[in-house]
Amino acid sequence: MAAVIFLPAAPVRAQSSAGAYGSQTVTSNFEAQLIWGTNEKQSDPKLKPADPKLVEKLQKSPFKWNYYFEMHKENIKLKLNEEKTVTMSRNCVISVTCLKDEQVKFELIGKGKLANTVTQDLPKGRLLITGGDAENSTAWFVVLKRVE
Amino acid sequence: MAEFAHSSAEDSALVRASQRGDTDAFEELVARHRDKIYARAFSMMRNEEEAIDLSQEAWVKGWQRLVQFQGDSSFATWITRIVINLCLDELRKQKRRRTESIEEMDEESGGVERQMPVVTTNPTERLERGELRQRIDQALAQMSNEHRTVLVLHEFEEMEYKEIAKAMDCSIGTVMSRLFYARRKLASLLADLKQ
Amino acid sequence: MTEEQQLKVQAFLDGELPESEGQEVAAWLASDSDASALLGELKNTRAALKEFDSPATAGVKLPESREFYWSKIKREIERTTPVAAPAPKASLFHWFRRVLMPLGTLAALALVAVVAIHSFSGGQHPMPMAANVMLGDPGALTYRDDAQDMTVVWLSYPAENKFAETSSGDTLSPK
Repeated sequence: MAAVIFLPAAPVRAQSSAGAYGSQTVTSNFEAQLIWGTNEKQSDPKLKPADPKLVEKLQKSPFKWNYYFEMHKENIKLKLNEEKTVTMSRNCVISVTCLKDEQVKFELIGKGKLANTVTQDLPKGRLLITGGDAENSTAWFVVLKRVE
Repeated sequence: MAEFAHSSAEDSALVRASQRGDTDAFEELVARHRDKIYARAFSMMRNEEEAIDLSQEAWVKGWQRLVQFQGDSSFATWITRIVINLCLDELRKQKRRRTESIEEMDEESGGVERQMPVVTTNPTERLERGELRQRIDQALAQMSNEHRTVLVLHEFEEMEYKEIAKAMDCSIGTVMSRLFYARRKLASLLADLKQ
Repeated sequence: MTEEQQLKVQAFLDGELPESEGQEVAAWLASDSDASALLGELKNTRAALKEFDSPATAGVKLPESREFYWSKIKREIERTTPVAAPAPKASLFHWFRRVLMPLGTLAALALVAVVAIHSFSGGQHPMPMAANVMLGDPGALTYRDDAQDMTVVWLSYPAENKFAETSSGDTLSPK
């Protein structure tokens, strides 16, 4: 039986800080998902299979696992230069900042420590994924995308 | 044979064996303390099904956290605290879903319990054990979750005001008011028995 | 008696008053019959509750058999206990890590390489157009796939140290 890995996120602790550039009335919507990849077939009905389109993309990449499950999902609304911190699981917190020119700054905080920062363009349709090994030869991914 | 050996072992030995992964040893611990854990859950939830579910959840959590049990308290106390916390979590969820009871409004408006006449007779002297137990049980069932919880935590678990305040996420003043109301209500209900 | 006085009587009974205040209240109780009566009632209630919860009078029994009750607990323990998983299928990604990660650990410089990626899945998936692999942070490998419109940043920290949590915790059921 495979390991149960992720805690469901507790009530979202979203902390927001708007930038210092005056009013930013345009809101960008992002979606963050926490995905678990495993090669073992799972029988737990509570596990939610990840979106097939995402699975197809991952399976065309080097990051192939047989099964992917969506462990948590958050919708994040940001104004320009606004940053929000969202808890995806007990050990996984992300911080997303909406920047100009469709850029986004994504920070991954694991167990209270900044693990990685990525700043790049993220137009609608593109995925920014951060991942790593999990126990028992499985993997975790945080998938960020702009939804409008 | 393992079951026989386990049945005569002390809790501490069973805990050590369980920490090494011996589920038979853990099963013996469950068998020994299950009634007490269930009773504590039932005293807080007043619902048999919920009490069974929460007590089982407590045992599962106990197994998962066994490595953290260092023997600072007895195993029974430790597992009791786990079930209490689970019950408190569940009660908080239920409170978010329900409307405020009249009792709670009385408490917040402040005063009903102050006006109750003092009961001078001692119920433990007037009533036989079985009847007293039944009456107290009925009285606890009639109370709001908050009043019953503070009574259980203070009178049965012997927690201090500040510990209860932390567990129930309220102020010490609220703990004191609720406890006072619950005690006076209980006294009044027990006094009404022999009419 | 005011509400504050009544709560003081209770706090006195419960041993929650500081010593000096406790002595004041004790003196007051000795001289105030109403306060003393209230203390008596609270004491009686406490005694009744002690009787209720004592092992000698405990009457609450779990309404399930030992075996049935344990079977549900055991099932949940087994469900949430990790077992070893088989090794993952060989994948290009593991080739990547074997070859490229040592470079990453050696160099603090960003290294950009364009590599052709071949799938090990027997040709079931078309090859991506191109992939940019960037090694900056020694612990991170960036894979950019324009055909799939995605960027993957793979963190190579040991599994047990980071974001994956072992099963000593909790179930997947949403709270």
